[in-house]
Amino acid sequence: MHPATPPTTDTPVGRHHRTPRPRRRLLRGLLAATVAAPLMFGAAACGDDGSAADPNAPVKLSIFWWGGDARAKLTEDALALYTKKHPNVTFETTWQANQGYFDKLATLTAGGNPPDLFQIDDNYLAEYAARSTTLDLTSYQESGKLDTSKFPESLWQYGVVDGKLAGLAAGENTQGLVYNKTLLTKHNLPEPTTGMSWEAHIAWAEEVSRKTGVPGTQDPSADYKAFWVWLRQQGKDLYEGRELGFTAEDVTRWFDLWKGARDRRATPTADVIHEGNSSDVTKQLVVTGKSATSWVWANQMPDLKKNTKDELGVVAYPGDPSAQWARASMYWSVFKGSRNRDIAVDVINFLNNDQEAVKLLGTDRGLPSNLDLRRVVSDDTTDPAMKQSIAVEAELTQKFGESPQVPIKGHSKVKSELIKAAENAQYGRATTAAAAAQFVEACKSAIA
Amino acid sequence: MALTTAPDPTRRGPGSNRAHASRRGPGHLRHSEGLAGYVFLSPWLIGLMGVTAIPMLLSLYLSFTNYDILTPFSEARWVGLANYERMFTADPSYWHAVRVTLTFALIAVPLKLVAALGVALLLNRAWRGIGLFRGLFYLPSLLGGSVALAIVWVNMFNRDGAFNSLLSLVGIQGEPWVNDPDWALETLMVLAVWQFGAPMVIFLAGLKQVPTELYEAASVDGAGRFRQFRNVTLPMLSPVIFFNLVLETINGFQGFTAAFVLSNGTGGPVDSTLMYTLNLYITGFTDLEMGYASAMAWVFLLAIAVLTAIFFSTGRFWVHYSDGEDR
Repeated sequence: MHPATPPTTDTPVGRHHRTPRPRRRLLRGLLAATVAAPLMFGAAACGDDGSAADPNAPVKLSIFWWGGDARAKLTEDALALYTKKHPNVTFETTWQANQGYFDKLATLTAGGNPPDLFQIDDNYLAEYAARSTTLDLTSYQESGKLDTSKFPESLWQYGVVDGKLAGLAAGENTQGLVYNKTLLTKHNLPEPTTGMSWEAHIAWAEEVSRKTGVPGTQDPSADYKAFWVWLRQQGKDLYEGRELGFTAEDVTRWFDLWKGARDRRATPTADVIHEGNSSDVTKQLVVTGKSATSWVWANQMPDLKKNTKDELGVVAYPGDPSAQWARASMYWSVFKGSRNRDIAVDVINFLNNDQEAVKLLGTDRGLPSNLDLRRVVSDDTTDPAMKQSIAVEAELTQKFGESPQVPIKGHSKVKSELIKAAENAQYGRATTAAAAAQFVEACKSAIA
Repeated sequence: MALTTAPDPTRRGPGSNRAHASRRGPGHLRHSEGLAGYVFLSPWLIGLMGVTAIPMLLSLYLSFTNYDILTPFSEARWVGLANYERMFTADPSYWHAVRVTLTFALIAVPLKLVAALGVALLLNRAWRGIGLFRGLFYLPSLLGGSVALAIVWVNMFNRDGAFNSLLSLVGIQGEPWVNDPDWALETLMVLAVWQFGAPMVIFLAGLKQVPTELYEAASVDGAGRFRQFRNVTLPMLSPVIFFNLVLETINGFQGFTAAFVLSNGTGGPVDSTLMYTLNLYITGFTDLEMGYASAMAWVFLLAIAVLTAIFFSTGRFWVHYSDGEDR
């Protein structure tokens, strides 16, 4: 073998006199790289807004949701089905618990690296839509690329913020009062029923506490969704346009209702109530055995059931059930700057309207939004907990009232302020009136 | 690495005449060596610039805007001093967080230092197996800001946690510590104090530096153990105490992980564990007011700087450096 000869060796030196000396070249190269690297990252962060021209070019779509193992399995199966039908599209899936999900989503967005497609709920939809982070899906809906013809109208409309379709309902749910059936049966106590008044519910809970030693009901005064239902029964609402739909007096009455319940020992003590105020399914008092009922969403039944050996039942929240509505349990939204937005929208359409995909997903994200497929899935379901949540929703569908507006920007702060104010009253650190006044004050600055 | 494969300019070979030509004069050489110095520094320099300096300056800028994370910061609106004004005049939860943090630091830091010094004194002996004890006492601080430890803490100190089970053995009915707004912060303090390992090790090193002849002289003069401690150990140890005090105060103010985990990221129950940094985090990431959160961060930085300056200016009255210089 001949030793490799450097090609420059026999070139006349004179011609190359301007060639940078090796060391200098190195330095310049390094400097250039140093300067260029941040610029390149910066440019990448800005994103490319041209859509893929070739529909068959390989695409990797990033998708992000919150949920447990079961949801991950179902979702990944459904996405695999999409890949089977569109081999050029693969997915980069990321999922985690609800706790911390929105922190991460915000950070990803800030870092210029948001997922193409993400799950979001009504607590944050307006926050994101108001800041133009979500793609307006209206044009896709109009062109039929996003088919909502089989959706209940109020359901997809619950994704409209400021006239833009900011997210498409991934499922439907509603408030559900979940109770420990085993405990009640054991002590020969009646089960709660839909339409029971608040007063009757509290009296029932007091009876349960007395007979079983387990507090009858979680005190939901810190729970915005219970407060919301109660407000609607009083002819009020959480929001009216960009204003609060209630006054400090309303809040005081709500807090007083539950102070009465605590005084009658219908609820656990403040520290246990605090534990149950977590959004974590596994910490709900009905599954930790620290109370006989919990205030949740009806579609959480199967998840709750996984955390307890006891039989559970579910009914509507107390009072007139027409205060409840067909709520989008969560939405799929597309990042506005996504390069693959057309495909992302197609995936949403697939997850909602493809029979096989919807059957795979079941009722994990709530009842399927597509009414035809909802029937198919309901008939097929074998999971008893899922059956129960379907049954109660089917029953309530007849009674649902009109949907309220999607919570406005600042809502996440309103939620946490309600917890703070309610707990202040529960721990006895403030009177109900003072806590209510503090809450309304904080809300006003949160939504300003 | 590109650097190691770079051709040596002094190497004899085809390019040597060109390399030779580069030696125009000593000044030029020095210049390019200076440049080479920067290149070798660059990994650190890029890190400092990219990870610390630039983001910091950016956050200073953002603190004068209404940046909300979701919209690109180039579109953030300039609001002047509005964020700072709001902090000082219109945000009760900000001042609540300041109070919580001060309470925490004022109690936990001195206790931690006393614990660290006490244990260091106990461990400053030449017993067999003392190394094992030193290791054991240091262990908790290795687990430091870990999430796992905070989770353990939550489970130990709730209504039916291990701690209350212990108490019930002696007939005391415990509180729901971490779920009680009157006790949650104290529970965090205990956790912080328990992690005294790092200052303890530094105290131990300091104790070993105290010349034994001082103790000998003191005992010849009839000083008892307490007087020896007060008049020999403490003054000789004062630079180490000073060091630990400054460091632990800064750490104490920055406490985040345990409060975050214990309260599920809310600062609850009823804001009792709303430490400054946690409030800042919630403001930035949950309430999406990153501009305001940046302003909080800068005020925090200045406050810690001022506090440290105060420590340094008072230090000359009580810190004794045994290097012969009279301070």
